[in-house]
Amino acid sequence: MTKDEVFNRVADMISDQFEVDRSKITGDLNFKSDLDADSIDFVEFVLNLESEFGATIDDEDAEKLNTVNEAVDYIVSHS
Amino acid sequence: MKIAVDAMGGDYAPTEVVKGVEMARDLHPDMEFLLFGPKDQVEPLVANTERITLVHTEQVIEMGEEPVKAIKAKKDSSMVKAAEAVHNGEADAFLSGGNTGALLAAGLFIVGRIKGIERPALTTTLPMVEGPNDKFVMLDVGANADSRAFHLYQYAFMGAYYADAVLGIQKPRVGLLNNGTEADKGDKLHKAVHELLAANHDLNFIGNVESRELLNGAADVVVTDGFTGNAALKSTEGTALTMLNLIKRSIINGGLKDKLGAYLLKDTFNDINTKLDYSKYGGAVLIGVKAPVVKMHGSSKATTVRNTLGQIHTMVKSNTVGKIVDYFNTHADAMKAIKQEAKNN
Repeated sequence: MTKDEVFNRVADMISDQFEVDRSKITGDLNFKSDLDADSIDFVEFVLNLESEFGATIDDEDAEKLNTVNEAVDYIVSHS
Repeated sequence: MKIAVDAMGGDYAPTEVVKGVEMARDLHPDMEFLLFGPKDQVEPLVANTERITLVHTEQVIEMGEEPVKAIKAKKDSSMVKAAEAVHNGEADAFLSGGNTGALLAAGLFIVGRIKGIERPALTTTLPMVEGPNDKFVMLDVGANADSRAFHLYQYAFMGAYYADAVLGIQKPRVGLLNNGTEADKGDKLHKAVHELLAANHDLNFIGNVESRELLNGAADVVVTDGFTGNAALKSTEGTALTMLNLIKRSIINGGLKDKLGAYLLKDTFNDINTKLDYSKYGGAVLIGVKAPVVKMHGSSKATTVRNTLGQIHTMVKSNTVGKIVDYFNTHADAMKAIKQEAKNN
């Protein structure tokens, strides 16, 4: 899967979960500061990522995912 | 209606869970059950398989396990599989007496939130000793330790729908648990919640209520953050139990006069016991997820399992979740505006 394809699917997921306009989702978007995500929002997002891409994301790795691009890169390199 | 039951959840599982399911099956002809657990342990306990389907699972989530890790690692557990059955539309509701945190995580992350609801809340029904009704609901009693004003604002609507649909209390009085009844009482969070609720006209909001008046009919729906709600619930339970034990001990250690008095008051004591026994109302419901997810007490025996399934029967039949979904769908824009307003406060 190309990086663009992953980005589009991740952006759709974020738009749905955080109820934000799909066109406003960029690679630099930060989960905490831009989306106001707390720990529960973030766990929900990581679990959704796992089921969407059939991936397993360790807790330690998940903690390092701060932006949309970091999540996309993780999926690209682990699938 | 079909209910997914975690046969392995609770101190007396699977024996008492299976017994309770069979009692509920005999009581409600429109109920079917999916019973999740290791077949070699569950199957021999089922006396009659009418409307009961056994679903074999290999793993069990234990009481002490870390919730999110457990649901991630034990995908073939009775709890995860039961939650997935609800998520996939194979069952209408989910019941477990197992690890509370894992059940909340399974409800939140597998069954999933209703669109527009920020945080589901754990809701319990308690006896009202004095007041217009004989029971009231309180939420959140522990699903979320850290809460925002908008979360509590949404709990008020969910609690009001539950009180109306399940307890039959029309136009329920909604109160905010606080450290005083005046509107300006409380910390920043509670002041903000009071302001939001007071400005809404769909709810019958009566203002702040104090914990000492909860059992005396202070409100039909008590809204609180999960941290305070859990502390208030345990304090209420603990005080009631301590009082009952104190009376019991005084009678045992007392003389003939005390024992004779107790004998004469036997029926009164039984009445009090029945009134305070809130297990008859069923379990704690995680409201705000796409289907009823119910946690019964870990020490539940068959009768409590049956009662809790009766409560689920009412919830499914009255379409409580559907009504909440409808309200939040039709008020989606208003909710977004209020969320923004709450954030700016």
